[in-house]
Amino acid sequence: MKLGKEEIQKLALGILLLIGVVYSYFDMLLFPELKKQDAVAKNIASLSPEIKKAQEQIKRAQDLEQSAPGKTQVVPQVEAMIPDGAPVAWFPPRISELFKREGIDKVAAKLNNETAEKDLPGFRRIAWTIDFPKVDFIGYARALSTLENDEPLVAVTSLSIEPSVDDVETQRALITVNNLVKQ
Amino acid sequence: MSLRLNLYHEVQKQAALKRRDPLKLSLYGMGAIAVCMAGYYFLQLGKSHGLNSELDRLKAEHSKLDPEAKTALKREEELAAKIKMNELIERRIEERLYWAPLLEQLVGVVPREVQLIKISGEIESEITKKCTLTINGISAGTDARGIAEELRIAVAERLGTKYRNVTAKFRSLDDGSEPVALEGKQLPTAAFVIAVDLTWGGEALAAAAPRRKR
Repeated sequence: MKLGKEEIQKLALGILLLIGVVYSYFDMLLFPELKKQDAVAKNIASLSPEIKKAQEQIKRAQDLEQSAPGKTQVVPQVEAMIPDGAPVAWFPPRISELFKREGIDKVAAKLNNETAEKDLPGFRRIAWTIDFPKVDFIGYARALSTLENDEPLVAVTSLSIEPSVDDVETQRALITVNNLVKQ
Repeated sequence: MSLRLNLYHEVQKQAALKRRDPLKLSLYGMGAIAVCMAGYYFLQLGKSHGLNSELDRLKAEHSKLDPEAKTALKREEELAAKIKMNELIERRIEERLYWAPLLEQLVGVVPREVQLIKISGEIESEITKKCTLTINGISAGTDARGIAEELRIAVAERLGTKYRNVTAKFRSLDDGSEPVALEGKQLPTAAFVIAVDLTWGGEALAAAAPRRKR
């Protein structure tokens, strides 16, 4: 089959048109669309972990919230154990009363110093010296045991017991304690 | 045999040529390709639409969850701080050194030949939970020094059952200047000072008995 001049011209024009159409199709339609798809897919890929992370965070907080009541009871209990007002007004009478119940009448509590509790915001520590001018060792040890059991916020940091100067039958005892109080 | 003459052969040839026109055939082919390409493009458009919908859904979910997550994080931090504070207070209460049982154990090992004059104790460090005790006393007997040594060993052994790293050392051990009467006998004395170091808290370890020093 032999193509005429006119047909060759038509064919050349068709090929040119075809190239233009194909180029336009890929460059103006398909590739931009694929690029957009790619960007959207990337956005989806980046959002999905964030959503998962947020869901996990919410779940973790909910779990903690559920288990928290059992783990946060101590602070309210401790706060309820600490009377309002200046510790110097209530601590010495409280200690005197405790030891009086144990049969030790003469007790003197003196404030030494106070320091802020860095780890426990809202609390401070007060150091006291408690002097027992006349005690017998057994009664003193029993009273000390009562103090340690009844006053969980009091920690004895040092003690000494030695014979009284004026009475060989009794001893003189001295303890220093740290007491946790509200700020 | 009759002779047949096709007088339309030129017309038929022209029609066949027209039917097999390469331009027309290529136009048909191009049309088919164009339809395929358009179909693929619309397929991609559909896919894009699906992806966009998914992205919109995720964005909406994220914008809803993000503030909730921030609030949850804040709440979690608050609760964690509260729990930590509770644990600290609880540990401080539970891990105090209880002096009364310590004194009870100490007094339990003092024999009748020994009189304690002074007991003093101090917490060296609340972090390492170290405590020191100083025991001043007088022992009486034919071997007063030996009795004091037995007391030192007994103190270390007894306290070692409840506390860790217990050591009991003589700070001083001197012969007494005056004898004392015990069960009607005049016995020599020895004055001693024993320094006891111990660590409380954690599991109690049985301390190895100190060797008798002679």
